[in-house]
Amino acid sequence: MPKARLIDTSKCMACRGCQVACKQWNELPAVETKQEGTYENPPELSGSTWIRVEFRERPGEWLFRAHTCMHCTDASCEKVCPTGAISHQGEAVIIDQKWCIGCGYCVQACPFNVPHKDEITGTARKCRFCIDRITNGQKPACATTCPSGAIQFSERADLIAAAREKVQTLVADGHPNANLYGVDEMGGLHTMYILLDKPSAVGLPEAPQLATSTVLAQWLSGVITAGVVAVIPFWLLFRRKKRLEAERESKVGGTR
Amino acid sequence: MAWGAPIYIYLWLAGMAGGAYFAAFLAERFAGEANRQLLRLATYLGIPLAVIGVILLVVDLGNPLRFWHLFARFDVISPMSMGTWILLLWVGIAVVMAIFWWVENRLTEQTARSLRRTTGVLAWVNLVLAVLLIAYTGVLLAVSNQPLWAGTLLLPCLFVASAISTGVAILIITAVTGRAWAIPNRTVGRLAEADAIVILIELAVLIGYAIWLGASAMAGTGEALRLLTTGVLAAPFWVGVVLLALLVPFGLEVFNWGKEIEKKAVWRAVVASSACVILGGLILRAVIVIGGQI
Repeated sequence: MPKARLIDTSKCMACRGCQVACKQWNELPAVETKQEGTYENPPELSGSTWIRVEFRERPGEWLFRAHTCMHCTDASCEKVCPTGAISHQGEAVIIDQKWCIGCGYCVQACPFNVPHKDEITGTARKCRFCIDRITNGQKPACATTCPSGAIQFSERADLIAAAREKVQTLVADGHPNANLYGVDEMGGLHTMYILLDKPSAVGLPEAPQLATSTVLAQWLSGVITAGVVAVIPFWLLFRRKKRLEAERESKVGGTR
Repeated sequence: MAWGAPIYIYLWLAGMAGGAYFAAFLAERFAGEANRQLLRLATYLGIPLAVIGVILLVVDLGNPLRFWHLFARFDVISPMSMGTWILLLWVGIAVVMAIFWWVENRLTEQTARSLRRTTGVLAWVNLVLAVLLIAYTGVLLAVSNQPLWAGTLLLPCLFVASAISTGVAILIITAVTGRAWAIPNRTVGRLAEADAIVILIELAVLIGYAIWLGASAMAGTGEALRLLTTGVLAAPFWVGVVLLALLVPFGLEVFNWGKEIEKKAVWRAVVASSACVILGGLILRAVIVIGGQI
């Protein structure tokens, strides 16, 4: 039975314990930052920050969302990776740090802006779902440390059932747009969210697309343009018949 | 920004190399003078252009010394993997063709004839690869999740048209400045006229691309379009792409349509329009690559 992570944003209090636990377990360096008028810190997800709480302020309320890898079933990063360095290991999408060449294609392909190039290692890095912990019967570091129970890790089916109940409670409790995100997106996410408002309110795409879903159409678009449309001007101007006609004309002109 | 100057310069160079080959092959083939001077010129130009592009690409990798990992995999779904093989094959065959041309005059007539036949076949193979190569420069970006790149199906069309236009331009500039190539003035004139039509196609594609971006259902495409038309990239877009790459060279080429290139003013106009096309092609790649990541 596949496991998953459920992040209940209604329970998140933005303590950023998940950020610290992630850095500690994965031995990721801290980055020096400066105050830029927000409570968010560090300023963005990066090669050395794999989970980060985003703060969004609205009149009368805060929306917090821990931004991290979704571990998609159909993962754009894995599909575009030219070396095969990105692969699934069970539920987890892992970037093989010994094989990644640092081309940055996964950075461009991810619909959730998760992988980032690390300046020091020269590779793309992101959340590994604490593969070393979950394959030994433990929860990821973020879920283990979360003091409010906002980040849970369990059987995916059980989490979905519980989350649906919670969403109904939230709707009844004055959050008409509350929803569960990630059940079907990208073939099913292994990081799902209970959201208080529609996904775009916390920076999630309403309809994330697999980057390679249009690959055949994009190739056809380019090949047809070159192989058919762009042939025409050369055919019009260089075909032999036209050249011969031109020569005949110039000969006729010459005899006059 | 994960992809910067090395990437857009590479896309520009690889497109120009493939575009020049495509144009030279078709021009000579339709004229019934296969594999003569123009194709040789395109091949000799294309090899260094593509190689410089690849060097930029490798240096830009986070781990340049691991570049060979690309050759351990053949993945039709990943455009970068396909591009790696297309580029390797295209450059490899171009080098073989160049060597054959170089040695064919030093051989007996019989050996030379069979060598020429082989070169003829290779030239066709490289035409197909050139089509794939110039398409790939657009497909690479289009298969992503950046709205400016992935929001339509027209980015490969745009890059293909620009690749052929810049390819023709570099052929023209080399032909008229390097007299040793002995490319007939008539051919150069025809190339400039063909370029005018290619620019017209490119302009139509650009308009279609903008309309499609504005109407696309993908989130963020409207903002991406405004970035080009009124946002921080408006100046390079309107001046560098619309004027320099399209309208100015189109105007110059149409104005000099059918005129004798021996005349100094016509010669200057043809060189100027080609230079505009080449520079504008670089600005197009830069605007799209940077714009996709803002």
